[in-house]
Amino acid sequence: MIRRNWKIELPLHFMLLPGLILVLLFCYGPMAGILIAFQNFIPVKGLFGSEWVGLDHFRYVYGLPETITVFRNTVVIASMKIVAGLIAPLITALLLNEIGKRLFKRTVQTVIYMPHFLSWVIMAGILLDVLSPTTGIVNAVLDWLGVTKVFFLGNADWFPYVLVGTDVLKEFGFGTIVYLAAITGINPALYEAAVLDGANRWKQTLHITLPGIVPIIILLLTLGLGNVLNAGFDQVFNLYSPSVYSTGDILDTYVYRIGLGNGQYGVATAVGLFKSVISFALISISYFLAYRLANYRIF
Amino acid sequence: MVVKKWKQLALVMLVLALVTVTACSKDNNGEKASNSPSDSPSANASASSSSTTAKQTVPDGPTGKYDPPIELTTVRSVNAGVKFQAGDSLDSNVWTKDFESVLGIKVINKWKVSDQQYQNKMAVTMASGDLPDFMLVDAQQFQILVQAGTIADLTDVYAKYASELTKKSIEEGGGLRLKASTVNGKIMGIPADGGGRDDAHSIYIRTDWLKNVGLEPPKTMDDVIKIATAFTKNDPDKNGKNDTYGLSLDMSLFNGWSGLEGFFNGYHAYPFNPTKGTGTNLNFVKGADGKAAWADVQPEVKTALGKLQELFKAGAIYPEFSVIDGIKSGELVTSNKVGMAFGAFWVPTWPINNMKKDLPGSDWGIYPIVSADDKPVMAQSTGGLPSKYYVVSKESKHPEAPFILLNRYVDKLFSNFDQAYHSVDADGVNYAFHMYPPINGSFAEKNQDAAYAVQDAINSKDPSKLDTEQKQYYDQVEKYRAGDLSLWAAEKLWAPGGSFDVIGQYKKENRIFQSVFTGNPTPTMVAKGPSLRDEEVRTFTSIIMGAKPLDYFDEWVTKWMDSGGKDILDEVNSSGQIQ
Repeated sequence: MIRRNWKIELPLHFMLLPGLILVLLFCYGPMAGILIAFQNFIPVKGLFGSEWVGLDHFRYVYGLPETITVFRNTVVIASMKIVAGLIAPLITALLLNEIGKRLFKRTVQTVIYMPHFLSWVIMAGILLDVLSPTTGIVNAVLDWLGVTKVFFLGNADWFPYVLVGTDVLKEFGFGTIVYLAAITGINPALYEAAVLDGANRWKQTLHITLPGIVPIIILLLTLGLGNVLNAGFDQVFNLYSPSVYSTGDILDTYVYRIGLGNGQYGVATAVGLFKSVISFALISISYFLAYRLANYRIF
Repeated sequence: MVVKKWKQLALVMLVLALVTVTACSKDNNGEKASNSPSDSPSANASASSSSTTAKQTVPDGPTGKYDPPIELTTVRSVNAGVKFQAGDSLDSNVWTKDFESVLGIKVINKWKVSDQQYQNKMAVTMASGDLPDFMLVDAQQFQILVQAGTIADLTDVYAKYASELTKKSIEEGGGLRLKASTVNGKIMGIPADGGGRDDAHSIYIRTDWLKNVGLEPPKTMDDVIKIATAFTKNDPDKNGKNDTYGLSLDMSLFNGWSGLEGFFNGYHAYPFNPTKGTGTNLNFVKGADGKAAWADVQPEVKTALGKLQELFKAGAIYPEFSVIDGIKSGELVTSNKVGMAFGAFWVPTWPINNMKKDLPGSDWGIYPIVSADDKPVMAQSTGGLPSKYYVVSKESKHPEAPFILLNRYVDKLFSNFDQAYHSVDADGVNYAFHMYPPINGSFAEKNQDAAYAVQDAINSKDPSKLDTEQKQYYDQVEKYRAGDLSLWAAEKLWAPGGSFDVIGQYKKENRIFQSVFTGNPTPTMVAKGPSLRDEEVRTFTSIIMGAKPLDYFDEWVTKWMDSGGKDILDEVNSSGQIQ
């Protein structure tokens, strides 16, 4: 019995091989680079020729005056992004799901999906104009409404919210499609049964649609938790400026400015390793929670 | 303190490890690369035997001939872009033949590698201790060699054997290149690049706007502020809207376009630490106690910041300057919103190069920076330190020979120009002979001299004395004057009233400021520079925007001193590389 299964499955295992090799080559191989975190790495001397410095890079980063602030910024911004990035597409998906007109639904879907394909360099250029207090349309509307103008990109109090808002704006279309796909996977018979039982649209959403996509929500949340220390380098790097460093500077941008500008590869790797360790712990916790609370398993 | 010492030790260890490790791992490579016919033990032997000959005649000044000929060893990096005609190579070409027949110097290349590998190969050679007579090294290797004491002190041979023209090529531009090559009063190398001072700022002002608001070009910093305010409030573009700004500025703070260097210089302040710079390229001034002090924390900086704060408050600076970069600030200027900017010589080529063509009636004037008081104004320049040096081995029998070669080089290419030594175009390929010699010189003031030559030619209407490159500039200026507005930049670079005309005035009157520290970034600069830079940029930005009071400057100065600034100053003052 086992032998026959093996025979049937052998080609399938072979089909898995290229992917496996790629993972080994590009995900596990570079892990050797972790060593750089404990070295005074000089590219000329290579991984095994560079001098060992122990935990010196970690101490150096810990000793930098801004590290605590930057760490806090990273966690705050990333957490807000995870929450907002969960709620916005979920609501959009539920709303779109209630729309009967196919053409309208598809059009909306496509339009909100579009910004996902723009790079942050381009988005930043657009946002700089849109959010400008002197010429931007957002502030023009605020002014018309009688609200004081806000220097969104230059005001340290506002900047984190701008990051979250623009990130949602750019990515919620993508999330919406994932949720819509999950919703289509729900057995229509459940809705028919619910209608027979007298459930209205709201009750159907509450008791069929939402429970039906809970696994997907938990999956995305789980994957998202691993990114708590990735607050989005591209975005922050293209939008921030010295006046918002205090609230907008995240680990990645900070390390970029401090480390790479001067070829301090060891420092950059040390921070990367630190981030990976924290992320690993977070993913483990969230997976455990998902298993306990929703009986959901990825593996 | 302990950390600092540890870091110094680590640096030394690193350097040692670098040298030895690369030496071991790259040995095979080295053998392959040096496997050229001219490199054999006998060559070295004959070199020493010929120099021990009793009846040797040697040059006793910048010119002369070795008889019998001597052999001089060096090493070469091969640039893939340099092409050779059939029969020619780095070992045998018009220059080597010339050196041998005219100077009696046979140059022997001990090894040749591609320019990408040169630095590594050089490290191997340095570690092996078998140095050629002279060689090209980078700034870091230069420091290591100086500390190791394996290269020759060239002070005396430089004085005796370098020709006037060679000296000019090395000392031109305020002598910064020579100062950078001088360690503890001794000339330890021949700078191979650097020396430019053309990054000094000028004031760029819309002349049509000046006319519209009825003001004259500035004579003092107060005039600059008056113009900036008038450009903001008096509707200089006559469109009836309050939509213009007086002074261009962006988040960089220090830059060749829209930077504040020229503004600060007006108040005799010389700060430099661009937002996106390395944080290690700092300016130092000599304090009252004779020691080097950091330019950015001087009280004059505070004065200038106060003026900028007032300008910002008056609306003369774009309120969102702190979030826009140079490209965006350039767009604001070209879209007719800003009428004045500080900048380097190249500003006419970007961003304002097409304005005269695209915006009829608009034009820009270029004016020297001005002083806030009766003290003469100095324009700061930061781009002059060499990154490469030629050094001579202590073991070399003829430490003067590289100068003899260099004298010949600059003579053939810059004094008695000979095309046969420069380049030839054949079969669609450019054979750049001037890249062949093992040592070469350049003139930091090349563009400046070209501008003077073009200006003379324009005034005398006689372009016959110009060389090919200068003639090209002259023709562009003539074309512009004949009505081709797309060549506006040529007029504003080379012609009288152009940016080189302005910078030339600074140079003639010796009004260029350069940092008194000529060494490489110190360990604390590398470790803490970026973090300190961020703090500085944040401080300056918030003071200009009025988010912080002007007195916050003093608080920042104290903070800087406590968080690494003092170590930096100690390192700089003990470097032995203070002018």
